[in-house]
Amino acid sequence: MAREKIYQEEVFPSPFMQLWGIFRKTPVAMVGFCCFIFLITLAIFAPIISPYSPVESNLEMILLPPAWHPDGNVSYLLGTDELGRDMLSRLMYGTSLTFGLSFIVVVFSLVIGVVIGSLSALTRGFKSSFLNHFLDVILSIPSLLLAIIIVAILGPGIGNTVWAIAIVFIPQFIHITRYAVKEEFRKDYVLASRLDGASNFRILYYSVFPNIVERLMSQATLAQSAAILDIATLGFLGLGAQIPLPEWGAILANGLEHFYIAPWTVYLPGLAILFAVVATNLVGEGIRHALKLRKES
Amino acid sequence: MLTFTLRRLALFLFTMMVLTLLSFSLSFLFPGDTVINHSGQINATATDLAKLNEAYQMDKNIFRQYSAYLQHIINGDFGQSMASQSPISNEIIELLPATIELSLVALLIAMLVGIPLGFIAAINHNKTSDNAILSFAMIGYSIPVFWLGLLAILLFSIGLGWLPSSGKISLLFEIEFVTGIQFIDILLSDSPYKWQAFNNASAHIILPACVIALAPATIFIRLSRAAMIEVLATSYIRAARAKGLNFRQIIFRHAIRNALIQIIRHVGLQFANLVTLAMVTEVIFSWPGIGRWLIESISQRDYTAIQSGLLALSCFIFIVHILTDFIYAALNPLARGNNHGS
Repeated sequence: MAREKIYQEEVFPSPFMQLWGIFRKTPVAMVGFCCFIFLITLAIFAPIISPYSPVESNLEMILLPPAWHPDGNVSYLLGTDELGRDMLSRLMYGTSLTFGLSFIVVVFSLVIGVVIGSLSALTRGFKSSFLNHFLDVILSIPSLLLAIIIVAILGPGIGNTVWAIAIVFIPQFIHITRYAVKEEFRKDYVLASRLDGASNFRILYYSVFPNIVERLMSQATLAQSAAILDIATLGFLGLGAQIPLPEWGAILANGLEHFYIAPWTVYLPGLAILFAVVATNLVGEGIRHALKLRKES
Repeated sequence: MLTFTLRRLALFLFTMMVLTLLSFSLSFLFPGDTVINHSGQINATATDLAKLNEAYQMDKNIFRQYSAYLQHIINGDFGQSMASQSPISNEIIELLPATIELSLVALLIAMLVGIPLGFIAAINHNKTSDNAILSFAMIGYSIPVFWLGLLAILLFSIGLGWLPSSGKISLLFEIEFVTGIQFIDILLSDSPYKWQAFNNASAHIILPACVIALAPATIFIRLSRAAMIEVLATSYIRAARAKGLNFRQIIFRHAIRNALIQIIRHVGLQFANLVTLAMVTEVIFSWPGIGRWLIESISQRDYTAIQSGLLALSCFIFIVHILTDFIYAALNPLARGNNHGS
């Protein structure tokens, strides 16, 4: 026999679910979130859905304007570049390079940063203080400048760019994790589970992480929008992705010579970068807004 | 104030040590021979190499090598550029002021536009104008700077023909190099065409400076909006209101002053960001500054130039950092005793 509910049980959703509940009700944030999911899908499935190869040239279709132009051709929806490569396919592949790589980079540095940050939050004394000062110095150097230094050491190329940007973002995550973990460790619920005999690691894993995950996510969206811009900027300066690769910044740099006669080769990759960064920022803004509302309620 | 100064000085020395250590270790990390990377003399003969090894104490332990390197830096000897074989210190002295000039003008524009807009947004908190300003800030923050630069050139230089698209000043004007900061040099010179030159230089700087200023301006909007909202919620503003002061008096006499102090704190951090944007913009607008030179050196694999250029640029950024900290402490007595910050 099923036991009937005598008392009205109160259900407390986890902090993360509370946040999602508020996030879902903000229309602008949801639009950003849908665009974000769309970009991720595009980044994964670009090789399957793109109509042409991104690197193969087609000399009969050089500098074709987009389809809405009177001279356009509808089978090349966004036109072609100076080697007759389809812009749409190039932009689609570019999603997996610029956006997809920036996502992977951020996840990678997030994981490493969280591990080092939570370890350092548990240590005290000289080591901790040295780390703090060292991080301050690193954080005061802008991410792009640091990435340029690392690319200078490793040499140009997309692989080296990815490493450079991953290294650049680790200190940010260390800093925020360290700060958040330290703050949580001062709270009473941690003391309660410590009185239960829980080890530091157990407290960290079961009590602290669920409470700081959204702060880390908010930082991750900030990092990702910076990462997209950094990858694109390095590509544009010729320090990142090399010539045939359809990275958005590199496509833009490539279109520069024909800027005046074929402006779409410059407009479109720029718009793609703008779209990706705005989508990421909207998601981040939504998370921060939801965090603020949850704190107030 | 004394402890504050000492603490900043300690931080400054610590940072300088980290930065020189970084640039010292770059010579080992870059491909090629360490001593050649230090000095940049790629065509050195065996006797030259022996002399260089002596000067940089390459046969001693790593600490002696570092102190020898430090000695060279303090004496102003950054080595030679591998590409042009001219002393790097001369090039930096010539190029760094141009970057400083461009970044300062951009910072000024960003502050003049961003801070008032942020205040307006905060005063109309949660109204349409607030939302409009915030959306503008979001888009401005997300635009890639190189794309914005190209669009600005296409619109204002090619399309409308209002402003020149490259360089610091028209080649017709001959300005003697005194400080390197163009506007001061023009005013110091005794050329009869001083004012034409001044106008020409201003026309050249407007476009790149505005392009650089956009992203920092949006950050100033957010900072000043947050600071103003915070100030307007305090009890002294409520007291002022209870006293019967009208809206303008409250805003101009009480709120703006206290909100501005909060913003000055962040100027240093924003400046670092702004210099990076300036580096990219210099490439697009062919501005003869250190950013363009540095990026060119990277593609030319001129390791000595990269190393010294980075050192000079990061020193400059850090000095601005410390300066804003001092200004903030001078304006806000509450900050002097605090341990956090830095």
